[in-house]
Amino acid sequence: MQFKQMIIVAALLVSASAQAGESATTIKADSLKAKPFSDAKVIASLPVATRVEILKKEGGWYQVKSPQGSGWVRMLSLRRGEARTGSSGSELTGLASLASGRAGTGKVVATTGIRGLNEEELRAAQFDEKQVALAESYTTTRAEAQKFAASARLTPVQMNYLPEPGGSSK
Amino acid sequence: MNHLILKSLILAGLCLPAAQAFDLGQELRNAARDLKKPGAASSLGGYSETEEVAIGRQIAGNLLGASPLVPDKKLQKYVNNVGRWVASQSERADLEWHFGVIESNDINAFAAPGGYIFMTRGLYKQLKDESELAGVLAHEIAHVIKKHHLKILQQSRMVDLGGKLLGKQAGGNDNIRNLIGSGAEIVSRSLDKGAEFEADRTGIVLAARAGYNAYGLPGVLQQIGHSSADDSSVALLFKTHPHPDERLAKLDDAMDSRFDGTGGKTLAQRLYKIR
Ligand SMILES: [Zn+2]
Repeated sequence: MQFKQMIIVAALLVSASAQAGESATTIKADSLKAKPFSDAKVIASLPVATRVEILKKEGGWYQVKSPQGSGWVRMLSLRRGEARTGSSGSELTGLASLASGRAGTGKVVATTGIRGLNEEELRAAQFDEKQVALAESYTTTRAEAQKFAASARLTPVQMNYLPEPGGSSK
Repeated sequence: MNHLILKSLILAGLCLPAAQAFDLGQELRNAARDLKKPGAASSLGGYSETEEVAIGRQIAGNLLGASPLVPDKKLQKYVNNVGRWVASQSERADLEWHFGVIESNDINAFAAPGGYIFMTRGLYKQLKDESELAGVLAHEIAHVIKKHHLKILQQSRMVDLGGKLLGKQAGGNDNIRNLIGSGAEIVSRSLDKGAEFEADRTGIVLAARAGYNAYGLPGVLQQIGHSSADDSSVALLFKTHPHPDERLAKLDDAMDSRFDGTGGKTLAQRLYKIR
């Protein structure tokens, strides 16, 4: 029993540390805030391409350690991960090269992964009645979902859909 | 006449890569046979919900034929709970939604018409909290409510044909099977970028309406985005969707600071741990 608890604790520690200590880079200039809110006090301004260390994630914010001090930055102002090997500033070209490379050409040859799900496999897929019936057996009703949500105090929020950026309402 | 049918089917094949999934020869025979039947005249128009669900079920069954469900009832039930709650915030709240986690180490998620949504074990394992699960499912739910894949089917000549078949003999699973055929390539059909960005924007709002923190989907995209583009586990996802960095940039524009104050729950504790 104690051993089992130890495993759980260990697992929690591992999953918590997966994020912490990871590096990230600002993909645009943004301010470093004292708290994870847009109207929180500004500690410093981070220029584009500032390397930071992620300490914690909270909703749309990352707590980071930066050359300008520690604080909170909006998630979408950062790109996560180590620099794409070495050279400084190369990350900022990463988006463009990726977009025009693999994702853009449409000439990607699907590679066969281990237990992957590539196009050939999808193309060859044969209908499985048992599996689809099994999938349907797990269906949750609207009322059950409501109960499930309430058990974690998830309450519906009224909100309109977002307009397309750059559209008429921007 | 037969020549015309042939031509239209070839055309359908060209504008619908998913059609490669079918045995085209078999399709031609079926189509020719069915067109000889009375009442097979053209009738354009959308599908009824029943037809949409029947089409989705066939595609879902095909997909599951390639990758079965992860044999973990609690996991499947959990994913259905989260998915149905998010879908309940949409304009198709009363559709009978089905969600599942399938056996594949690839990182991907799929939507078939009529509310059949699946994600891979590989993607599930990337999730850090329930809001991220909600975000991923919300993107797929958005594809269903916006009928993105159904529209692709509908646009093709083949499905125009299918519409007639379906309309003529309701409930004929054989007809749907003939129409959709085997293969599930349609679920990974590249939509235009606009449709993907729309699904992202719509998904963000659905998750937020459900009470989740709106940054679940962006969090997952950021995680996936820093996988190597050469990693075969994301090859199909990267081929069929704009790069995560591009999606994140678009979401940043669309979300602006609207969601900074909305809070919402992340529910890291409740995320079901996959075995
Ligand atoms: Zn998509």
